[in-house]
Amino acid sequence: MVTTEPAASTESTPPAESTPSAESARPAGPPPFDPELGAALTIIREAVQLDLTVETIPERRRPNPLFPPPSDQELSLGGAFEVSERQVPGPDGAPDISLLIARPVGLAAPGPAIYHIHGGGMIMGDNRQGLPMVIGWAAQLGAAVVSVEYRLAPETPHPGPVEDCYAGLVWTAAHADELNIDPGRIVVAGGSAGGGLAAAVALLARDRGGPALFGQFLMCPMLDDRNDTPSAVQMAGLGVWDHASNEVGWTALLGDQRGALDVSPYAAPARATDLSGLPPTFIDVGSAETFRDEAVSYATRIWQAGGVAELHVWPGGFHGFQVMVPQAAVSQDATAAQWDWFRRLLA
Amino acid sequence: MKDLEVRLAALDPDAGAAVRVIAYFDQLTSARAGLEAIVRGAAVLAGCPVWLTDDGRRLSLRVDPDGHPTPASGPPDPDWPHHQLDPGARAAVWLERPGPAGPVEAMVLERAAAAARSVLDRTRGRAPAADQDAAAVEVLIDEGARPEARRHAARVLGLPADRPLRAVARAGAPARIEPAASAGPAADGPRAGIGPAADLAGLPASWAAARTALRFTADGTGEDPGPRVVHADDLGALALLAPSVSPGVPPIPDELALEHAAAAAPWMLATLDAVAAHPSLRAAASALRLHHSSLQDRITHAERLLAWPIRDPHGHHRLYLALALRRLRRHPA
Repeated sequence: MVTTEPAASTESTPPAESTPSAESARPAGPPPFDPELGAALTIIREAVQLDLTVETIPERRRPNPLFPPPSDQELSLGGAFEVSERQVPGPDGAPDISLLIARPVGLAAPGPAIYHIHGGGMIMGDNRQGLPMVIGWAAQLGAAVVSVEYRLAPETPHPGPVEDCYAGLVWTAAHADELNIDPGRIVVAGGSAGGGLAAAVALLARDRGGPALFGQFLMCPMLDDRNDTPSAVQMAGLGVWDHASNEVGWTALLGDQRGALDVSPYAAPARATDLSGLPPTFIDVGSAETFRDEAVSYATRIWQAGGVAELHVWPGGFHGFQVMVPQAAVSQDATAAQWDWFRRLLA
Repeated sequence: MKDLEVRLAALDPDAGAAVRVIAYFDQLTSARAGLEAIVRGAAVLAGCPVWLTDDGRRLSLRVDPDGHPTPASGPPDPDWPHHQLDPGARAAVWLERPGPAGPVEAMVLERAAAAARSVLDRTRGRAPAADQDAAAVEVLIDEGARPEARRHAARVLGLPADRPLRAVARAGAPARIEPAASAGPAADGPRAGIGPAADLAGLPASWAAARTALRFTADGTGEDPGPRVVHADDLGALALLAPSVSPGVPPIPDELALEHAAAAAPWMLATLDAVAAHPSLRAAASALRLHHSSLQDRITHAERLLAWPIRDPHGHHRLYLALALRRLRRHPA
């Protein structure tokens, strides 16, 4: 049974930088969704429309009853974690930022930490989104979780969001003693826009001589503002985050600089020309989503730069399939692969 | 479908939920999802563990609402809400909780049962239960089945999980999984294609190869001479021919020439098959219990009808391929 597709065997996706020609300009039809994911998608699409525009951002930020935010009580896993919100200094000249801190109770020695950055296309979401899964892992690893509430685009364009994320990381590393965290074992983690921001934070930490990260965990990361890979084109109008939604998200962050020649790698990590010197990296993505090719390319370029990366491309997965349809067989396998990576890295 | 909508309206005040349930299982069916995916869908939509049982095949598959297949313990409680796969059938889908089912749950049961029935129909036809538990076999040959479900199905079938297994495709009979070291099907049984040896994870591929091999078998009659049992391992490059012969693809001239020859004499196909299957005319004559010179006469006749020589290596090979194409044509996928 094929569960992951090695990057080298993607015969249907020419490299993004290949010369456009009549043959390669139009990718073939989209890969089919996994049967279980496709069936669930029809229900999900009733709640998640592909009609995102700059105007509908406020509406999309309203709480979705399908995905309620977890309470402190839920996040404490029955008292295993002490959960608090803490205001810490933001970037120079910017407001304080809020960190949700979940610390394992009764840990004798300092443990690892997962520094979590939520997703939401750069324009929505909050620092509780996606946390139950992360705290579930942390509970088995004796790890603390710190989840940053960064300012969102378009109200706060680049570099506000990524600088907020970075400031929270710097504060966390500097207060490791107080938090009972081993500052040498901090893993930055995020999904979707959070994955893109996590990758950008890792680049910043490398380039500014900031906290030495122990790993970067990038779930279906949003890395490339150019929005022109074969998968971005191929999946237009399909799934839950398509070419048009992606354009709205990046434009909110970068304005008319989206797709320009000199976009910063700290905004769009796919723009980085140097991917050496990064911590061990986990990347996963679905074969049937906008971000497939940029995620595969990022892992490939880390290897080419002599780095350590683990890449999973789940066949027939749409964006966020594993979170939205956790019970599907392919989602269970994707979750198991994520947990395995954390366990090998930290346990 | 119309009739269903009417029943839905009667059952369910929240038509939206019912429409979702229908769309969900319709999509699973059209994407040819396996039994486990169907039972999982029911468990998720109903929010409780769901079972698929088939007494005739000693099958019981249980999936919890988180989507994890877990071995069922004992038989289902007869009071649980359930829906039979067929009227009077001993196979049913069950909700693991006290009844009665609400309208949406009833819809889940009904659609899951219909979807499961379509899987079983697809894989075993409407034939009655054979010697093996067809639903367990379906799990083993379903590419999407999870490792735990495979191991469970192997246990249900009493197969050794640590030894090589293989799939067997039989004409007009359900799929079969057996140890690779088995003696093989009886000579008087249905035509059979034998898949290559595989571990549990490799059985879907073994099944696919077995089905291809089945297409190269013959009834072993004068009308359809040739082997009744073909091993996929022995096909070699011949297997590549199989996908190129399908009902929509017109026969090539050599196939037409072969049919033309076949129509000329009742002995023709058996003779040509013997010639193609043996390294020498002497061996072919012996297999046909013919005198060597009688076979020479028949061949001369056949070559005139075919319009190509079959005694030189190229022509001999051409005949072999034409006979293979004829079997593929007679036994579509």
